[in-house]
Amino acid sequence: MAESSFSSASPHLRVGTKDDKTSTFRKIAEDEEWEVTSPTDPTFQTANSAAASSSAGNNLFGGSVFNEQQGGGIRFRRSPFADPSGDGDEDHDDFDEHPEVPRPTGALNEGFPNNYALGRRTSVSAESLNPTSAGSDSWVPPHHPKTEEQVSRLKTAVSGNFLFSHLDDDQFKTVVDALVEKPIPAKGIKVISQGDAGDYFYIVEDGHFDVYIHPSGSVQSGSDGMGSKAGSIGPGGSFGELALMYNAPRAATIVSTDTKSTLWALDRITFRRILMDSAFQRRRMYEAFLEEVPLLSSLKPYERSKIADALDAIKYPAGSTVIKEGDPGDAFYLLESGEVEAFKEGVDRPVKSYKRGDFFGELALLDDQPRAASIVAKTDVKVAKLGRDGFKRLLGPVEEIMRRAEYEQIKPKPADS
Amino acid sequence: MPSLGGLLKKRRTKDSQTLSKELEAGSSPTAAQTQTSPNQHHHSHQSHPTPTATSPDAAYTSAQPHQSSHDHHNHSSGTNRSHPEGQPSSMQSAVTQSPSAHNHHGHTHSNSHNVASIQNIIHSSQQSGQSVGGGSHQSQTRTTKGKYSLEDFSLQRTLGTGSFGRVHLVQSKHNHRFYAIKVLKKAQVVKMKQIEHTNDERRMLNRVRHPFLITLWGTWQDSRNLYMVMDFVEGGELFSLLRKSQRFPNPVAKFYAAEVTLALEYLHNHQIIYRDLKPENLLLDRHGHLKITDFGFAKEVPDITWTLCGTPDYLAPEVVSSKGYNKSVDWWSLGILIFEMLCGFTPFWDSGSPVKIYENILRGRVKYPPYLHPDAVDLLSQLITADLTKRLGNLHGGPEDVKNHPWFAEVTWDRLARKDIDAPYVPPIRGGQGDASQYDRYPEEQEAYGQGGEDIHGHLFPDF
Repeated sequence: MAESSFSSASPHLRVGTKDDKTSTFRKIAEDEEWEVTSPTDPTFQTANSAAASSSAGNNLFGGSVFNEQQGGGIRFRRSPFADPSGDGDEDHDDFDEHPEVPRPTGALNEGFPNNYALGRRTSVSAESLNPTSAGSDSWVPPHHPKTEEQVSRLKTAVSGNFLFSHLDDDQFKTVVDALVEKPIPAKGIKVISQGDAGDYFYIVEDGHFDVYIHPSGSVQSGSDGMGSKAGSIGPGGSFGELALMYNAPRAATIVSTDTKSTLWALDRITFRRILMDSAFQRRRMYEAFLEEVPLLSSLKPYERSKIADALDAIKYPAGSTVIKEGDPGDAFYLLESGEVEAFKEGVDRPVKSYKRGDFFGELALLDDQPRAASIVAKTDVKVAKLGRDGFKRLLGPVEEIMRRAEYEQIKPKPADS
Repeated sequence: MPSLGGLLKKRRTKDSQTLSKELEAGSSPTAAQTQTSPNQHHHSHQSHPTPTATSPDAAYTSAQPHQSSHDHHNHSSGTNRSHPEGQPSSMQSAVTQSPSAHNHHGHTHSNSHNVASIQNIIHSSQQSGQSVGGGSHQSQTRTTKGKYSLEDFSLQRTLGTGSFGRVHLVQSKHNHRFYAIKVLKKAQVVKMKQIEHTNDERRMLNRVRHPFLITLWGTWQDSRNLYMVMDFVEGGELFSLLRKSQRFPNPVAKFYAAEVTLALEYLHNHQIIYRDLKPENLLLDRHGHLKITDFGFAKEVPDITWTLCGTPDYLAPEVVSSKGYNKSVDWWSLGILIFEMLCGFTPFWDSGSPVKIYENILRGRVKYPPYLHPDAVDLLSQLITADLTKRLGNLHGGPEDVKNHPWFAEVTWDRLARKDIDAPYVPPIRGGQGDASQYDRYPEEQEAYGQGGEDIHGHLFPDF
């Protein structure tokens, strides 16, 4: 419907008109019976009767209305927020708040994208997934063994893909393990057909495939039913990634061109479950960790949940310094995996060590006092970090959070920074 | 700027008179034209306790199991549960005069002396989307299941289509008023795996009552379809207005954005996320105020949810990356909406390819056209940000942070909430006459509704 027959040259809405129509408009606006646009402006009548008598609403976007209505178009009232006492930029009679900037007269200037799709946009949706009701405790992602070589090829194949680039190592590994081999035994096999429901994402292990697109949006019957060839995909290539997000109709038809080829396939439910389960578990872990932080013991569950949303996971290799003694404290850390140790200047041995689930640096949530100790990674570690500023933006000052509950007493451990 | 005071006052006077009359016109699709009608005055000063956030539906259904519950029963249960946030009833949508299934429905007793005199005057006036006068309506939409049938309406043209159904303009055979009926094909809903979303849509619509949200009057189902009776919002989609205008002047975008902000605030206060904000889902009432429609993805989410849904241009990065998300996504979408209203296009659109849109969303770079007001850019950059500790609406101050942003400085929020600020554009329609001229035309449905046959999916939609 209403596809983009929108003329790029159509006159834009006429705001800030300086002609005498403005005064006409004002009079009309005061007439209670006329809450519509100017009666001298037949735009809508034209549009309406046209719409009523023709088969489709395209004419709402057609050139005729605009072309015939030079100086017409949509006319807005003056600012709904006109404030007699105000003297801001917007308090002109019209909306031309930047009179020096010409209104766009077409779609090409002012950064308007070329070929911008002006039609209605369809909503998309995956199937509802829910970690608890899906019984994720008992769900184990499929595991299809692969050689080291295959794994590294797969990694390369998807490294640039937006769906994989933000996965952490664990998620990535689980996803790669879940890829299942799909031999394509002949040439001319349609792996996916344009317009069909999409459930799988494919990576090419070996062999070649041609891509066809039919302008109608789906495969038609007949010899040219697949449309014209739009490209080809070889080893290391991939296709159908949108199917990992939701069930969208396939945008192209993919046909094998070799007598024997191999694909790796991954379905949406598996992919989304892997991501959801790991995100869910991490979140539960964060929330559990946060419950153990005395400073934050009075947080309500939704507040902990908000913090958990905002934690950044960061990795440090063994031996690296997470916090440096004397630096101003600006963030607080949960230790997600690995071990770290606290060192103080002038003391040889670690003054404290931390393991999974421990936290450090929480006093930085209160102020930017210098760190009382350095924290050094003893093993490769993963921490979840939250800055004081972010914390305050999300939940307000920590002092208030502490004040609100029967918070007993902060006992900074010796090594707490 | 010359004062608009005179103009505003004049219009408001008019509004408060005619609207209060309109308000008092009962407008249940099945109510006879001369039905008695509720009157808001008795209710309007009551404070209404907040319903429990958990399963209010259960409460409603247990209190009002079916449509035969009316009069005292209906009223007493209803009084406890409208106005879910205890707002003044003037906030309530005027539309909301009771759509009871009965001509003698639950409100008549409240003050019929007032009502009777009004009935003579207003019997033909179509309810409107205005709520200036403050329509209070108590229990009515709480009994909405299985409330109507196809025989109550004469079906007219299609107003919109979707993946598993369409929306028709209809006229009630009882009061001759116009409504919109959304018809969903059950087989298609099942095939698209949208059973849960569809049940949520119905549940959420049943819970909400707000001047800027569409009103659900009732539902029913037959062997093939689900039907939802809603307001006919006469002014068409904001989408159409935006495309015709190419883009909105700053104050116009601000007006619509402000009304959406209030609606989001209301939904979030009820722990409902909306998830499909876009101009296509914003309708203009006859006075030019917004109504959010299509609750297909609305869901009660106190903490976190996982399902990827929405509209590609409007998806927040946390949705695209499948991390689990919450209300924050609606504030992101508000940013995209404001951007689109001001610029005429969305910030991450890219050559029509969804994959490219998603890559852009995750990359997060927004190019703000130079003609944008600096305040608008500032607000947008704080809404369209992947950093959840920076996204306005998601922070300590909640929706107030958005409302207090300098871009909204001229907005008097309480007046806006009362629809006491004139819309910048009033749709050119003939009110109350089923004037669908603002809606695009669509090919009409070929399959007749109301056919018999085996109902294999009915059990999946227990609330309809």
